[in-house]
Amino acid sequence: MALKALDIYKLLPRKNCKECGDPTCLTFAMKLAGGKADISLCPYLDEEAKSVLGATTRPPIRLVKLGIGEHSFAVGEEFVLYRHEKTFYHPPGIMFRVPDTMPPYEISGVTARVRDEFFTRVGADLRFNGIAIENASGSAEIFARAVGTVEKIADLPLVLVTADPAALSAALALCGTYRPLIHAATPENRTEFCALAKQHDCPLVVKGKTIDELAQLTRDCTSDGVQDLILDLFPASLRDFMIRSTTIRQLAITRAAPDLGYPVLLDASLMELPDAAITLGITKYASVIISAPLSPASAKAALTLRQNIYTDPQKPIQMNPGLYRIGNPGKDAPVLMTVNFSLTFFTLQGYLESTRLPCFMLIVDTEGLSVLTAVAAGKLSETLVNDSIKKFALEDEVSHRILIIPGYASPLSGRIEDLTGWKVLVGPRDAAEIGEFLHEEWKK
Amino acid sequence: MRTVTFLPSYRKIEVETGSTILDAAQRAGLNINVVCGGQGKCGKCIVYVQSGKTSFDRQKYGRFFSQDELARGACLACETTVESDLQVQVPESTLIQEQKILINGLEATIDFHPSVRKYYVELQPPTISDPSPDLSRLLWGIQKNGGPAAEKMYVPLEVLREIPAILRHAEWKATGTVALVPGGYRLVDLQENDTAKRLYGAAVDLGSTTIVVYLWDLGSGKVVSIASNYNRQISCGEDILARVNFARKNGLSKLQALATESINAAITTASNTAGIDREDIYEVVVAGNTVMTHMLLGIDPAYMIAEPYVPVVRRALSVATGRIGIACNPNGGLFVFPAVSDFIGGDIIADILACGMSEKEDISLLIDIGTNFEVVLGNREWMFSCAGAAGPALEGGEVLFGMRANPGAIEKITIEPDTLNPVYTTINSLKPRGICGSGLIDLLAELLCTCVIDRTGRINTGIANPRIRTGGHFPEYVIAWAAETDMGKDIVITENDIKNLIMSKASVHAACLTLMKQAGITRREITTIYFAGAFGNYINKKNATIIGLIPEIGVDKIINIGNGAVTGANIALVNRRKRKTLDDIACQVAYIELNAESSFMDEYTSSTFLPHTDLTLFPTVQKILDSCRIAKE
Amino acid sequence: MGFDLNFGWSGSIACVQLGATKSEGGTRRISYRIGGEKTLPFLEKIQGSSSPLITLEICDNPQYWSPIVTNYCGDMVHNSGEWAHAAETVYGADMVRLYLTSTRKRDFSDIASVGTTIETVLSGTGLPLIIEGSNEPKIDSEVFLKCGEAGQGERMLLGTAEAGRYRSIAAAAMAYDHSVIAQSPIDVNLAKQLNILLKEIGVSRDHIIIDPYTGSLGYGFEYSYSAMERIRFSALKGDADLAMPIICSAIDSLTVKEVRESEPAILDDIAVQWEFTTGLAAAIAGAEIICVRHPRTIPLLRKAFGSLTPGKIAGGEG
Repeated sequence: MALKALDIYKLLPRKNCKECGDPTCLTFAMKLAGGKADISLCPYLDEEAKSVLGATTRPPIRLVKLGIGEHSFAVGEEFVLYRHEKTFYHPPGIMFRVPDTMPPYEISGVTARVRDEFFTRVGADLRFNGIAIENASGSAEIFARAVGTVEKIADLPLVLVTADPAALSAALALCGTYRPLIHAATPENRTEFCALAKQHDCPLVVKGKTIDELAQLTRDCTSDGVQDLILDLFPASLRDFMIRSTTIRQLAITRAAPDLGYPVLLDASLMELPDAAITLGITKYASVIISAPLSPASAKAALTLRQNIYTDPQKPIQMNPGLYRIGNPGKDAPVLMTVNFSLTFFTLQGYLESTRLPCFMLIVDTEGLSVLTAVAAGKLSETLVNDSIKKFALEDEVSHRILIIPGYASPLSGRIEDLTGWKVLVGPRDAAEIGEFLHEEWKK
Repeated sequence: MRTVTFLPSYRKIEVETGSTILDAAQRAGLNINVVCGGQGKCGKCIVYVQSGKTSFDRQKYGRFFSQDELARGACLACETTVESDLQVQVPESTLIQEQKILINGLEATIDFHPSVRKYYVELQPPTISDPSPDLSRLLWGIQKNGGPAAEKMYVPLEVLREIPAILRHAEWKATGTVALVPGGYRLVDLQENDTAKRLYGAAVDLGSTTIVVYLWDLGSGKVVSIASNYNRQISCGEDILARVNFARKNGLSKLQALATESINAAITTASNTAGIDREDIYEVVVAGNTVMTHMLLGIDPAYMIAEPYVPVVRRALSVATGRIGIACNPNGGLFVFPAVSDFIGGDIIADILACGMSEKEDISLLIDIGTNFEVVLGNREWMFSCAGAAGPALEGGEVLFGMRANPGAIEKITIEPDTLNPVYTTINSLKPRGICGSGLIDLLAELLCTCVIDRTGRINTGIANPRIRTGGHFPEYVIAWAAETDMGKDIVITENDIKNLIMSKASVHAACLTLMKQAGITRREITTIYFAGAFGNYINKKNATIIGLIPEIGVDKIINIGNGAVTGANIALVNRRKRKTLDDIACQVAYIELNAESSFMDEYTSSTFLPHTDLTLFPTVQKILDSCRIAKE
Repeated sequence: MGFDLNFGWSGSIACVQLGATKSEGGTRRISYRIGGEKTLPFLEKIQGSSSPLITLEICDNPQYWSPIVTNYCGDMVHNSGEWAHAAETVYGADMVRLYLTSTRKRDFSDIASVGTTIETVLSGTGLPLIIEGSNEPKIDSEVFLKCGEAGQGERMLLGTAEAGRYRSIAAAAMAYDHSVIAQSPIDVNLAKQLNILLKEIGVSRDHIIIDPYTGSLGYGFEYSYSAMERIRFSALKGDADLAMPIICSAIDSLTVKEVRESEPAILDDIAVQWEFTTGLAAAIAGAEIICVRHPRTIPLLRKAFGSLTPGKIAGGEG
């Protein structure tokens, strides 16, 4: 558990020397507690304090980077079991699996799809992350050829799936400088795999049937000099993954088993219910998910779920700014402006729907603040309203120029009128009264 | 020039043609209620023009009036210009009402170590054999009479110029006034003969609504008089935000002048009451919120009200009173309290000083509630603070029949469990006109205990009682029937009012919880809760706990310090050692921005319940409510 | 070495009975007791612990229903009894949730028809029922009383109580021994508040199902997921006011942009995938009743729950 500001304060010299850049040790402690400052800024810490503070700020799960360049991504460095306690930081990479026995044009096709396909939601482009090449042929030569085919199409992060050191060696000769993920070291091949991983400075997956076996393997690999490890739990069923992944995450974040403080990989393509496995992997701590190329429906659902789960749940619930329709509003329908705090939005939307009067809702971006706070904080301004009218092309949607604003935004009414040229009607403060307001005011 | 005569007082004032009636009224000394700051938006400054020519856009502002009112000459004072001599009727409702103002600070004994002293000296005139200069002679004399070492005193040029004439005219009998200033001592004044007994100081609480002044005899260490009056800046907007906006539009000078004028008016009243000369006031100590003190000093507060909320200055300031226009000895010193941040100002530092929490080992929680609220948690080693908008509900705003603590406001109330009939008292025992903050807190607690409302504040409309009914939009409870009231109209509290109250109390409680969480302590570790501010003094402590306005720590551990700002100012005026600690206190308090605190919303939602969603935080309240419920069944 | 999961939980989820068989005083072919969990979802070690109940949502006026479903189901949507029958025999649901959409018509007043509809559905299926009453506070009391009465003895689940309107539904549930769905807007504190309100007017803990409101995937599910996790977490930590089973119904799943605007060829696929992903993730977060509208989602969820649960699959025909 993270230390409170006051606990940290008690470890600080408490001399308010200001050398860290903060006016007092207490404000510095607050920043440390929030992860917004580094302990090295304090020149007067004794060794004991350093070790206590250092241990709590060092991540319990190692950060492991896959690939290089613009498509590279990092996983690990997570702190919690439940996202509501903080947030989940590094979304899992989803890698499409291709067997090296697949015809080259198909391999190229899958690779190009991962390179090109994206899906835009709430301002973010959602993509798959890389290719897992499986040494299904058993031949080092064919494996290397498949790697070459992928490399020709895109510089995506790769997973090299083989148990054979010779095949791995051949593949790494082609792509070893691009930090592919090696899958996977087992007790049988561990020495050779570690040597190759070390030689090419690549992250390495260790695979074990039990948690004890995994812990033993990570100890061996780190003593062989490979630090960037990922755990494959090799689950027999969804239930198996659920239990073992949860166990490992809990042991890692409580620092009870440092040997397990590594990200987890799930090969959903080996599971009997791959869609369910992906959902489970995203929600329950998988950091790398291997999957057969997904159907359009499964692809969208998986990417959306990943985006949802890796959204910070403590941020105020926000709506996307924009123009929303209630019913089928015509050119003469009323336009109601409000903020993008989702409770405000949903409340107003509910009341508007019950009025059965088609209308538009102009939702402006106050970063999730409510009307009252947004006005007080200066976030809701005439400029924002004006920009939103332009941005969402409101003037093309309606023939009139009348904007209804929330009661709490009334101080802005004059300025909005001046800047936008729209006539402003100040609505009620309470959304419950909007129906009556529209029936009385709008009808005029 | 045109003459405007205001009725019913027959006050007359001459103004330029084209001035607004509002301007004229203010210059005539009438406290017109202008909530919006004179922008024609609030419709509060209604006056009736009885004769003369004016210009007023009836079309534009017609919505504020009935036809009948327009026919009688109604207009908005802020939007009506004077075109000829006028007679204007000002209805009582347009004037700011006299409010019950808290002027009794904490009755604490304060060690007496003032920063300014007078020394009467009788000097030997210079001779050929003793030709030392006037100044050395004077300073040496002061030192001999118990003053500071001669070489440590600094003498400003203005005083130096006066010295030869005064000493010779009074035949070398004179009184020097020496003040302790940052960096040493300063001879601030020299008077003929013995005036040592005439040494006064003023402690000022510069509130956004009210100014309170304590006048002290700094020779004897006694309070000689107290005065208070409204902050005249109210005419530029009721809340701080409106005033800052006014300053943005019209410049700062009017607000600066009004602040000075308001303080001067109170100082003058106090001086007249005490029968002293204002020239004998040598020191004025002012505690106020950060925006107020910025305005008083003529420093632009505009950057404080929008992100990233930066004040221009935080530390304590000392300036000559003459430079600000304070009506006292022009060489006197004005000391302005330091601030922690834009939202935690000198008034809160004064509260901290008054309750002494920064000197105690035990942990205290200080809560100052007004339209905004400030909370400080801590002890002598650490202090966390935060501030937020309580919403005006707790002061009676945003509640249908809410009102400030003016005469006629219901200030205390209980409800008879069987009949649901209320028993209430009003300020000055007038017929009720509305409910003020303390009354609202009582009401909320009583409605909860009698099961009229549930824990989310919703009225149980299933109860068959004529006092529970559904009015215009919301269910409501009738507190007073039309016949009992001043305006012949039922006084009710609606479900919406209750919702606003709960949101206000939730902000305060959530702020307390956020600070406690930041410090990692529970309510059990809090030894004392200090309530500061005028509002706190009238609050029923038990009811404040029942509704979950404050953490439950036991009614006997809640202390009202009343107007902590003026108490703090008093302490700083008469005890220079305490005054020296102020900058340290301000520095020691860490400010937490609630908007940036991700857990605040969570604490807020859990606080929007009576008393709180986590009932284990309110074990005693839970017992009270359980017994109420059993009694009900 | 041995690594074992140990959370040190002290609480457990209350058991709620849904449906009543003949021997229990009702007419249902099967009844369920849900709840009783002592740890996080799917981590129970006991063989045969129950898996979430899959519920098909139907309505009595399909004008308010998604055309994706009405097209897929065909004419049966005009006959609630037949639809409910298919839910059990063709689609393999564990429960049926009936929305009385007929009451949404402006100035609806034919309260008696509510009773008839419920009787039709009760005779159409032997599965336990969830009934969603009116959307209109003015007729709430009458509708809920009629629902309660028509299903007397059947241990139905009545929806939906909210902080602003819970008294009439609670009264109907208590009068006829049904359970209540308590819905609050995606917040653990608000969920707890409503449970306390219900408790204080006499609804017992084993008659409450929490609905923390499920925003569908991509549209609020990020918050619903954590709300469910937090409710379950608090319950296991010992907060009895939150220790009730959770129901998940992402009613917007079939109307979100991704589904609405998809190509006709994959419309059903994406609708099903949306319901499936939301439902499975909600079950992982703690929901024990998963409601869907597309019949094709049911077997997918059933298989997934099977793979997540040790031993037999509770309910249904699985």
